[in-house]
Amino acid sequence: MKRFWAKIRAGVWAGAAALRRRATALWEAGRGFLRAYGWPPLRRAAEFLLAWLKALRIRVLPPLLDLVFLGYLWLATSIAVSFAATGRVAYTLLSWEWFVLVVGVTGALWSAWDQTLGLKVVRHRLSPASPGMRLLYALFWPLFPLTLVTALVDREGRSPAEWFTDLRLVEAGEARPRRWYRSPTGWLAVLGLGVSLAAAVAVTRVDLRAFVTRFEKTLKFWRAIFSPAWDQAGLGLKLLVETLFMAVVATAFAVPVAAALSFLAARNLMRGPLPRLLYTVLRVTGSFTRSIDAIIWAIIFAVWVGTGSFAGVLALFVHSVVDLMKLYAEQIEAIDPGPVEAITATGANRLQVLRYGVIPQIINPFISFTLYRWDINVRMATVVGLVGGGGIGFRLAWYLGAYAFSEATMLTLLIVLMVWSIDWLSARIREKLA
Amino acid sequence: MAHVVVENLSKIYERGKVRALWNVNFSVEKGEFLVLIGLSGSGKSTLLRCINRLVEPTSGRVFLNGLELTRLSPRAMRRVRRRIGMIFQQFNLVKRATVLQNVLAGRLGYTSTLPSLLGWFPKRDIQRAKECLERVGLLDKMYVRADQLSGGQQQRVGIARALMQEPELLLADEPVSALDPATSHSVMQYIEQINKEDGVTVIASLHFLSLARRYGQRILALRAGEVVFDGPPEAIDDRKFKEIYGEEAEEVEIR
Repeated sequence: MKRFWAKIRAGVWAGAAALRRRATALWEAGRGFLRAYGWPPLRRAAEFLLAWLKALRIRVLPPLLDLVFLGYLWLATSIAVSFAATGRVAYTLLSWEWFVLVVGVTGALWSAWDQTLGLKVVRHRLSPASPGMRLLYALFWPLFPLTLVTALVDREGRSPAEWFTDLRLVEAGEARPRRWYRSPTGWLAVLGLGVSLAAAVAVTRVDLRAFVTRFEKTLKFWRAIFSPAWDQAGLGLKLLVETLFMAVVATAFAVPVAAALSFLAARNLMRGPLPRLLYTVLRVTGSFTRSIDAIIWAIIFAVWVGTGSFAGVLALFVHSVVDLMKLYAEQIEAIDPGPVEAITATGANRLQVLRYGVIPQIINPFISFTLYRWDINVRMATVVGLVGGGGIGFRLAWYLGAYAFSEATMLTLLIVLMVWSIDWLSARIREKLA
Repeated sequence: MAHVVVENLSKIYERGKVRALWNVNFSVEKGEFLVLIGLSGSGKSTLLRCINRLVEPTSGRVFLNGLELTRLSPRAMRRVRRRIGMIFQQFNLVKRATVLQNVLAGRLGYTSTLPSLLGWFPKRDIQRAKECLERVGLLDKMYVRADQLSGGQQQRVGIARALMQEPELLLADEPVSALDPATSHSVMQYIEQINKEDGVTVIASLHFLSLARRYGQRILALRAGEVVFDGPPEAIDDRKFKEIYGEEAEEVEIR
């Protein structure tokens, strides 16, 4: 038995290591390719992008991981405390004072090691804290356990089990509510909010002085912004049309797929165990796929089919399909069941009921959602271009990387113009359809 | 042989364990006008829907011309439904479609699937639709969207849709509850006309006893899913009335 588990563990580790090796290899291959074949501006743009992605990983991932971890910690503590207090496994969350305590203590521990869990995962060390920050930590961390005291003090008419779990077991009418500013809880809430805000400002390194001290360095940038390179207009327009077509193609191909799937993802049409299973599978995969942003899909497809507009189209297509499927399906779920019943009563079969009872009710919302999605796709087409999805965004990223700000400004102007007009157009059409 | 026979019909809704119908027995002769009365929630709608099996009964049997409907396959049931017209309290028209399209929908059971999906109906069906609309006095509204019509007009479109089916039986689920008194009579007169002139058997549920007395040849009263009265309208006296609607109730006239 022991050897079995050891084997399993070894397998998992080996798998993880292989994955990591493959990812590194892919990364290195990409860089090698660029070094060998990319001509300088492209290479610079790519280097810039890679650095940006890496920075994104360091900035975004650790706080997310920390938050998730804290959430689980809170949940686990809640369950443990409510079990200890009431003898039942309750999923009621602990009152916020406890959460503050958990966060405070964890934060103190983390700051002592200069590493949070999230930072450990991305293997990044914070720069050493400034003396001011150390003072801040020293001043505020000991305050957090104080919240516990208020939890003990604030127990009007509550049994110990209640004030430990924040479960109100007594009738709602019995406890007399107090004005928030009269209770220690209220004061602590204000204090806690203030501290959180201060901590947030410190962590994100908000420094208003930078606006002034670094201004002259950006003078070149500002000058470029106010002198767009007009000779880029022709090329820009060509790229604009390409971008527009990316959005059109992605939307056009996504609509039939999403429409067909939406009927299978509509709760009111999928009755019975097997259809319900299909419904659940579709909805779950749909929301999973949707939660991955189009930019990430663009990166995936840029690696898969190579950078260029095709990768961008694929990214937009995937995201559009799952998004439209959800929008369409919700529309189908919201139809008036009356006509469906009436058409069924005339002896029509399932397809006829769909055609005459369901479709007339959903056709206009479908068109409206499709336009809306196209509108989004036009905007997203430029963004997926930034990460290798082709179109005007790709060129824009390239200019930015090469510090060709006048050219970049020209392209940005064109993008703004396009997005604005598409926005206006689709709003007008949707108004007519409503 | 009676036209419609209902035997020991019961319906229990699984969710909430509501007993909507309990051991209902009655029969309707060909060409009869039967009115169902009872409080809201007494099972009138469920009873009507059990006859054309829009609602599956829990137990019991329903016969139409001696054919046991409760045993038919879904496919065979669809064929039978073609001859059972139904009109609804909320009219249940497709609001975005034109009046003509709504009326033609009554013909779906007779039209083969592919042409109907493409929106093609035979010429004679379109001719028929015009005749039906003329009958309910709405020929000039043929190409108007259904939601542009008044309540009474919408219900007349509903009647025209049912007429398209060439029904032998017409089920009317509170056809006038959403209408004002004057319009109610107009709609009821169309239903009466179909009953008298075409010899179509009608089973209609009605809210107002006065309407039931005026149009019904026979009245069937439900209370909590059970039949508490079955007989001619004249036989409902004060005592019977209280038995159907409860001790607190008082009769309201509608003219």
